[in-house]
Amino acid sequence: MNNKSYWALIKNGIFAENPIFRVALSLCPAVAVTSGVKNGFLMGIAVLFVQTMVNVTISVIRNFIHPRVRIPSYMFVIATWVTVTDLLMAAFARDVYKQMGLYIQLIVAFAIILSRAELFASKNRVVPSFFDGLGMGIGFLFALVVISFFRELLGKGSIWGLHIVEFKPLLIMILPTGGFFAVGILMGLFNWIDIKFFGGTGASGGGH
Amino acid sequence: MKEMLKITISLVVIFVSAGIIMAAVFAKTAPIMAEAQKREKEEALKRLMPEAEKITEAGKWEPLHKHAEYYEAKKGDETVGYIASTYGKGYSSYISILVATDSDIKVKKISILSHGETPGLGDEIEQEYFKKRFEGKTLEQLEVVKTETTDKIQAISGATISSRAVTNGVREAVRLLKEKYQGGKKDE
Repeated sequence: MNNKSYWALIKNGIFAENPIFRVALSLCPAVAVTSGVKNGFLMGIAVLFVQTMVNVTISVIRNFIHPRVRIPSYMFVIATWVTVTDLLMAAFARDVYKQMGLYIQLIVAFAIILSRAELFASKNRVVPSFFDGLGMGIGFLFALVVISFFRELLGKGSIWGLHIVEFKPLLIMILPTGGFFAVGILMGLFNWIDIKFFGGTGASGGGH
Repeated sequence: MKEMLKITISLVVIFVSAGIIMAAVFAKTAPIMAEAQKREKEEALKRLMPEAEKITEAGKWEPLHKHAEYYEAKKGDETVGYIASTYGKGYSSYISILVATDSDIKVKKISILSHGETPGLGDEIEQEYFKKRFEGKTLEQLEVVKTETTDKIQAISGATISSRAVTNGVREAVRLLKEKYQGGKKDE
């Protein structure tokens, strides 16, 4: 693989197989933590890190994992990385941990991480797996920031906690209902762009 | 049979090595974390009662079956207030709270030490505007209402359960301090 195909792997994660808008995986965090841009951003960063590290680890030990018990093995690798990240941050980055601690432990259950371990890292060498993890993480981060941007703007009239527009906010956008609205509308928008400009067929949908 | 052995070995090696990694990281980080938490608590105590010269632990109590302490704050020989650490059972976590009162056991300030409430909704309890609602409240006023009020505690819209949890925690702490310090006076 050359540099160009690494770039293609990253682009794949951001657009063609965007975890949320295209593959429709990990919709729980996409709705739950996107009530503010700051929350969405921090969650995205945490997922980006864990996804990349899990992909690399699985890829390194992929020949050792027995195919019939691969899912428990993946889960354990994910749980280990999440725990290690959580502990290290709690000890050495207290200020960041106070902001992000709420999110880190949730990552264990994210479908997108297990999905990339199974679909990509277990079949590819370390370097491509690293870039796939990076791409998926960036795609996830991007999706969360876009969703939370609209929700916070409409629901609170602010961005990253700063008030920018004065109007009576639509509280519903902050509540879970608004999360479904935002995810649905943006997913439709992504499909429309794909069909209109790239000749795609719309998202296939993982449905998890 | 050979297949089964292979599966077992593969799983055992992965699980054991993951366990060792986690245990090693935990062993390294646990003391640092405990130290940091202790320091943060001391700093929080000082921030709550900046006028006090000495804050000493006066006893222990168990809100919601968790360990907590209460403190006396003194300036010279005069008692300027009390602080109690307390807990509230929120939507998805126990909320750890510090409550500072003046010497008449009226709430002066509260501080949220840690919680695991929903980001964007429940975590609004950390905001200044909500914590300010507790200032000057007496035991009877510590009650959550959903309408606009300054007499009682107004709930945060979208986070009634978290608001109620904090209020209940604070109320229990105030009740304890009243019992310990004002109840004692009556008996004398």
